[in-house]
Amino acid sequence: MNFQEILEKIKSKHEVLESKEDLGVLNAYIAPAKIAAVASFLKEELGFTQLNFITAVDLPANNSLEVVYRFLSYTTADAVVLKVKLDRAKAAVETISGVFQTADWHERETAEMFGITFLKHPDPNRLILPDGIEAPLRKDYKNPDMIPLPKA
Amino acid sequence: MIKAPFEMEKISDEEYILNMGPQHPSTHGVLRIVLKLDGETVSGLYPDVGYIHSSVEKMCENKKFDMITPYTDRLDYLSAINYNWAYVAAVEKLMGIQLPERVEYMRVMLAELNRIMSHLLWYSAFGMDVGALTPIFYAFREREEVIDIVEGMTGGRLTHHAFRIGGFKNDLQKDFLPRLEKFLKKFEDRISEYEALLINNVILASRTKGVGILDKAKAINYGVTGPTLRGSDCAIDLRKNSPYSVYPKFDFKACTGKNGDTWDRLKVRMDEMRESAKILKQAASMIPAGEFCAKVPRLIKPAPGEVYTMVESARGEFGVYLVSDGTDKPYRIKFRSPSFSNLSVLKEITIGAKIADVIAIMGSLDLVIPEIDR
Repeated sequence: MNFQEILEKIKSKHEVLESKEDLGVLNAYIAPAKIAAVASFLKEELGFTQLNFITAVDLPANNSLEVVYRFLSYTTADAVVLKVKLDRAKAAVETISGVFQTADWHERETAEMFGITFLKHPDPNRLILPDGIEAPLRKDYKNPDMIPLPKA
Repeated sequence: MIKAPFEMEKISDEEYILNMGPQHPSTHGVLRIVLKLDGETVSGLYPDVGYIHSSVEKMCENKKFDMITPYTDRLDYLSAINYNWAYVAAVEKLMGIQLPERVEYMRVMLAELNRIMSHLLWYSAFGMDVGALTPIFYAFREREEVIDIVEGMTGGRLTHHAFRIGGFKNDLQKDFLPRLEKFLKKFEDRISEYEALLINNVILASRTKGVGILDKAKAINYGVTGPTLRGSDCAIDLRKNSPYSVYPKFDFKACTGKNGDTWDRLKVRMDEMRESAKILKQAASMIPAGEFCAKVPRLIKPAPGEVYTMVESARGEFGVYLVSDGTDKPYRIKFRSPSFSNLSVLKEITIGAKIADVIAIMGSLDLVIPEIDR
């Protein structure tokens, strides 16, 4: 399947806010409340059984956080990237750990690294970071131990 | 990191909590597994990771593209070459660099030697985990030879680092191919020796057969990849399923197990070394002459965009997700590590097993901790 066909198939069942092609891979923006439904559709109907990873990209210029989900089909070697745009001040998105078990840990990591709440997550504890470090992968993260190198 | 995953009030009088790690020898790194035990049977398990988190992803946002490669080989020090590969491939794909064919063959050869190296270390360590001290002396005899071959190319015995964006810094050293040939000549017999020594040993087989059974559907659902997934009768290998580089030109198979138990995962790794040797033989005879590095601009500035590249490392799917904003530093970089997902399935396959089995099951997952914590 090329990216157009995948896009058409998703659009036939679910709403896609915007979409683009990036090096042959479909990037589709989905509403935060719909992500679990679309992930389930990809897995059950289109055969994207592997969730490669979940992460986020902080875009302070647009005042948004983008959560990135990448899916892979083992049979056709096709890939799809789903994205969810969130407000930086109150970032919350539905969990997809009910659809993909592996999302459990990936979401916990993303949550603590970017300060995103994954709603209805079965185990919202921290995974990697100790208490006291908040959202270090956001671009505006400041820590007293982080001293920039003097310019030579 | 979590202090107390189980609520003490909810634990019955018959049960107790045992911390395995963070300094347990069988965790091969700093990993804490909190076990809830009912006698000797595991009734609850909670992996606690993050002890050696080093914020690699954040550091990479402040480094230029060509300065990042050495960070990737420190994530998984045993499979460093494959990790370098995923990263340089990401930058090359983003910049649209066409590689000379010789580079692809050189990369395949180093990556397969690296896989053999990693599996030999796993074999030795697994033997020691379950109480067999002899295998390490046999496996390290050959591992030493492989390291010597790779050292000439990469300059390192651990955290090997030879890949550059676009190719290599040097061509293969003159004695690389003769030494490789000499090594391959005897290696297949040696694998049979290892199997006779440990894997087919009656005591080990009875300790591992039927223990820690992971079924196929569950494995895929948990994002398990690599030999751990293939042990569950699932012939998925990224070298075949999402082919990269020149792998489609070689004749090899994705080794699988039947039952998905601990023993199958051991056997898959042994078979994989045979397949790696097969690929090496073919690559050594097919390698063309030519340039060892593509034409790469001095200043590496990929166009804005994003890319995800993955390789089949010794532990499974290692991927690099790279977002570029058009400057000389990555805007965001994410490392998808195989052990991260492979560890998350441990709970599913260990509950109900005996405490001694936990060691064997964990050993069969072949975890490397720095890549989980990153």
